[in-house]
Amino acid sequence: MIQSAPLPPLAQPTIIAVALLYFAGVAAIGYWAARRTRTARDFFVAGEGIGLWALALSAMAATISGFAFIGGPGLVYTVGLGAIYLVLPAGITNSMGAWVLAKRMRLLAEARKLITVPDAIGARYRSPMAQGLSATAILVATVGYMATNILALGLVIDAIFGTGLTPGIWVGMAIVLAYSASGGILAGIYTDMLQGALMALASVLVFLFTLRLGGGMGGLSESVLAADPAWLGPWGRMAPTAALSLLFVFGVGSLGQPHVVHKFYMLRDPRKLRWYPLLMTVALILTLLLYFGVGFAVKALVSRGELAPLVRADDATPTFLLQYTPILLAALVFSGVAAAIMSTVNSFMNIAAAAITHDLPVAFGTKVQNELRWGRISTIAISIVAALVAQVSGTLVALLGIFGWGLFASTLVPALAIGLNWEGATRAGAVSSIATGLVLTLALETAAFFKWLTVPQGVTIAGLALVASMLVFFVVSWLTRKTAAEIDADIRLVMSV
Amino acid sequence: MTRLKNAALAAVVFGTAGISTTYLAAFFGDGPVRWAPPVFVVGVACIMVGMMVLGAATDRGVGRLAVPFAFVWVLLVGGFAWVFRAPQSGDLWLGLPPAAAIIIYGIGFAPVLVLPLAYALTFDSITLRPEDIERVRAAGAARERGE
Repeated sequence: MIQSAPLPPLAQPTIIAVALLYFAGVAAIGYWAARRTRTARDFFVAGEGIGLWALALSAMAATISGFAFIGGPGLVYTVGLGAIYLVLPAGITNSMGAWVLAKRMRLLAEARKLITVPDAIGARYRSPMAQGLSATAILVATVGYMATNILALGLVIDAIFGTGLTPGIWVGMAIVLAYSASGGILAGIYTDMLQGALMALASVLVFLFTLRLGGGMGGLSESVLAADPAWLGPWGRMAPTAALSLLFVFGVGSLGQPHVVHKFYMLRDPRKLRWYPLLMTVALILTLLLYFGVGFAVKALVSRGELAPLVRADDATPTFLLQYTPILLAALVFSGVAAAIMSTVNSFMNIAAAAITHDLPVAFGTKVQNELRWGRISTIAISIVAALVAQVSGTLVALLGIFGWGLFASTLVPALAIGLNWEGATRAGAVSSIATGLVLTLALETAAFFKWLTVPQGVTIAGLALVASMLVFFVVSWLTRKTAAEIDADIRLVMSV
Repeated sequence: MTRLKNAALAAVVFGTAGISTTYLAAFFGDGPVRWAPPVFVVGVACIMVGMMVLGAATDRGVGRLAVPFAFVWVLLVGGFAWVFRAPQSGDLWLGLPPAAAIIIYGIGFAPVLVLPLAYALTFDSITLRPEDIERVRAAGAARERGE
């Protein structure tokens, strides 16, 4: 879910100045990182040389797209407490990810010098097919995710600089591409640190404003309860199982997000993982304060009659910032929106380039000679494809934007997250579950989007695909347990320590 | 250790089956099913906690981590059980209606105070020891040498 409708015009001198300052900072970091990127390992896994703060902030920045700042508050304004279930598992997911995946992924880098998430799947099952299939799923989801994010970035740049949408898309893409293609993930990690810090700061400041304006949480609640008590009910305006489906998809599905999991390879010292869940969780919670705070405050203001009901829910953040906060803070948040989108796009560029340059050749039994050069070329090619897709019909972009998270979850959670922790998982189970997730997500999302299929109330396709791929994984692994291939000794050790 | 991992895996399978059942009921039943939300909650709790145990369990077991894992399961199931039965009231708890407060402060925020600290405080004894890293490095090197 991401911004797909135009934002109100934001072209004010302070907003433009802060945005220019931010872009200059990003460019400087990109230039610095590009000079330090000399090998494919630098390009794809930052030479396994990043520290804990860089890991936590970049993982947080990659997790949160512009949706948390624009679409999310709009969703809260519309459906009330039900929208909270998207972010409710955040208090658990980072610790869960640390226990389930962080240590094992980082140790796989020690044992095998792996550089991609499909690499881990290939090594676990001794299966180029599983590696290639998971890389295909990542590529499909990534291009869709990138297209929607680049469209959103184009909208933000258009709103700030008045460029028009098409130039906004290409200027935004060119900025991200400039540092991503030259500095790879190393540039991405250090720009993500700037972007993550900016997002967290902007979110906290805006949340404090919402509390001051609304008379604290109590004041906000009383205003909303007087006009629309159901909004603050346990499920908001959603059906209980629909809200709980979000909890499932965004809780369990967090274990299958390659743009976050991939970063575990990059930590310099595995023992620094100790404080990763704490740092990542605190950074994530702080950055998500705006998501809830702005939607809640705008609903309270509308309930009190101090603000006209919004014509479009996505106007919640721009309206609140431009009318109720100092212009400098508004400028900071709009740069934060661009930062959130750019950090996500950069991560996707990198994993998609790795899928093309590294994983798919491995699946076909070959190896690219100069992975650094082809990584850069792939990054440029994918970005151009994504920007072109962003320019074509809104229908296609909207469809692509829907299934990204769910496709990652349904294809990677069983084979990767469960498979790295359960020796009974088999190659056939992994391949079947990845194929199930890929086919079900694409077929059902397409059918639902074009209204060929009506999904019952309370069911989400992402949840359905995830649960189906998990069931297939368990059943096929059990059925093929007697013919399962041996696990390599070093991989078995990584799975057992 | 194997028994613990098997139990964790059974919890994940049980949770997956529970959620599948609620989806099937939604597709083939007439309208919303009353038992679906509680089954869904138990399913999600079993999968999330089961995955944490599966990830944390080593040949040393999970040790003291059993307490935070149990806490999260009880918090999820107990918190939502309270929400399902919570009467409407005009009171505010920390600025929110009681059910909303349980969801946001309890289910959403309380794990933040427990899980990351539990991870950090047991890291050396349960999660990753220096000798584990050395063993993995040695295994990787042996593989490269073709041993």
